[in-house]
Amino acid sequence: MTRSRLVVLSSLVVVGVGVVGALGALYFDPPRAAVGPLPAKGLALPGDTQFVMGFDVHRFVASPFYQRFGKDRQGQGRPPGFTELEEKTGLNPERDVDRIVFAGRSVDKGPEGGVILVSGRFDRTKLSRAIETESKGVTFKSHEGTTVYLFREGAGARSGAVAFLDDDTLVLGPRAGVEATITNYAGGKAPVRANASLMALLESVKPGSTFWAVGDQSVLSRLPLSIPGAAGQGSVSLPPIKSVVVTGDLEPMVAVELTGEAVDSKAAQNLADVVRGFVALASLQASQKPELKDLASAVSVTTDATRVHVNVRVPYELIDSLAPKRPVAADGAPEGR
Amino acid sequence: MRDTSRPVPFARAARAVFDLALEGMVWSRRSLFMAVLLGLPIVFAIVYRVVLATHIPPRVTPFDLYGLLVVPYYLRFAVPLAALFYATALIADEVEGKTLTYLLTRPIRREGILAGKFAAYVVTTLSLAMPAVIVTFFALMTVRGRTGLGAAVPDLLRDLGVLALALLAYGALFTLMGVLLKRPLIPGLLFVFVWELLANLPGYLPRLTLTAYLRSLVRHRPAEEGLSEIFGQVLPAALCLEVLAGAVIVSLAAAAWIFSTREYVMDQ
Repeated sequence: MTRSRLVVLSSLVVVGVGVVGALGALYFDPPRAAVGPLPAKGLALPGDTQFVMGFDVHRFVASPFYQRFGKDRQGQGRPPGFTELEEKTGLNPERDVDRIVFAGRSVDKGPEGGVILVSGRFDRTKLSRAIETESKGVTFKSHEGTTVYLFREGAGARSGAVAFLDDDTLVLGPRAGVEATITNYAGGKAPVRANASLMALLESVKPGSTFWAVGDQSVLSRLPLSIPGAAGQGSVSLPPIKSVVVTGDLEPMVAVELTGEAVDSKAAQNLADVVRGFVALASLQASQKPELKDLASAVSVTTDATRVHVNVRVPYELIDSLAPKRPVAADGAPEGR
Repeated sequence: MRDTSRPVPFARAARAVFDLALEGMVWSRRSLFMAVLLGLPIVFAIVYRVVLATHIPPRVTPFDLYGLLVVPYYLRFAVPLAALFYATALIADEVEGKTLTYLLTRPIRREGILAGKFAAYVVTTLSLAMPAVIVTFFALMTVRGRTGLGAAVPDLLRDLGVLALALLAYGALFTLMGVLLKRPLIPGLLFVFVWELLANLPGYLPRLTLTAYLRSLVRHRPAEEGLSEIFGQVLPAALCLEVLAGAVIVSLAAAAWIFSTREYVMDQ
């Protein structure tokens, strides 16, 4: 074998091993059944889920946003209540919670229609005891072999429930939604997969986003098709949107990407024009409030066939400039520091 | 016995030229330079893994950094440059070395020569680029353990495909330039670093570039500034594949036609 062929063969081996390893990771990794950012356990959510939102707690806690705005400036550097929560339940949300997923259901199921999945590391005994002793009116029952804690059991649709789906996943929400999730998980069912459009949207979410949200036509069809115009004059018609995908990151700046799919390219262009119009209005306001000029330039709107992409990238310096100034203490330092 | 009055069949001729060209192409100073250029992200990934990820709070996630390496570095810089240096030299090197005569006097069709050389270019550049991308991917994506690795694999596979397509598309175009122009390097550099900037402009201008189509096929959308931030377009995937395939076919066909009809006079 010649040297050149040896080089090519070596390269082929590296590529082969890499691709096999990658496919292995895809197959054997715990989130192997995951769809985009939705973890495998998220597939057990109720089948009538219409929109899903996710939140990467670790990324959020590590972000400059949390360092600036999330912490209690007057306390121990943690949000109020976290210390008490940790004492009672052993749960330190900053450290122990990995991810929160909220699955929204149709509006006719009421505002309590959504189910929340919290993934992390929990002291199950301490947390269970805290639920039993600290909350009033809590009852519990077994559903598919899983203990479900019920809050205000007699309140009908308003009754809430919480249960451990497994050692590292909590499910919260209305009783029906929690029980449906437990049933699906216990039976290995993935009813959310039946919603093909939602699955496709989930797969389009940028991996590694700090927060994300997807919704399909079934939830967007309930949005108003017109909004009041500037200075209350008339109204602005909004073209119908088929789907929306929102992803966001908080490092190194607050960056939100919103992708909306309109029914056709003309509607997409109209939608983009509406957004551009609002950005232009903000720019006009810049003469009175100069920091709005930077905010307006932080928004970009592009179209791609039937899709509209809105990118908002706001540096923390700009957020600081928009925030109301704190009163300055006598020594010149802002109060509360 | 082969009928010596007829040229060697196309496939056999192309295979023979491929073997010859691969030998000269893979083991060359050009390949050493390109291996360094294409392997540079591995160094970045290791630096990030060893230094940045452990000592300094990360400003970008490993996946973001990988996306930055794939789009601006590989797709926009390293791959077009690799294609430029190899593909423009496929015939130009033979002319410059005055060795083209030895090939042209063989009973093989000129299209076979070009096909064999182009295949050697593709194999060489893929051999250099693909392992670099894969090693970079794993070096970055395992910084925080295996979390998120499986979810990012589809992007890796897509990136590998798009990079291969980029090598084909740029390679075919620069092969055409190589047979068309006497000194193709400068026009090639202008194409890569000036013309391709049209991809950042509004309207239909990006459709006159290869970058716009290639960039639309990958899912990474690294933060950009200036025009590309404002006017960045994502073209439909089907259109991108059609245009890129068309560019490859048209460029290679034109290159083959020019090479097979052109008369080469070797300077003494």
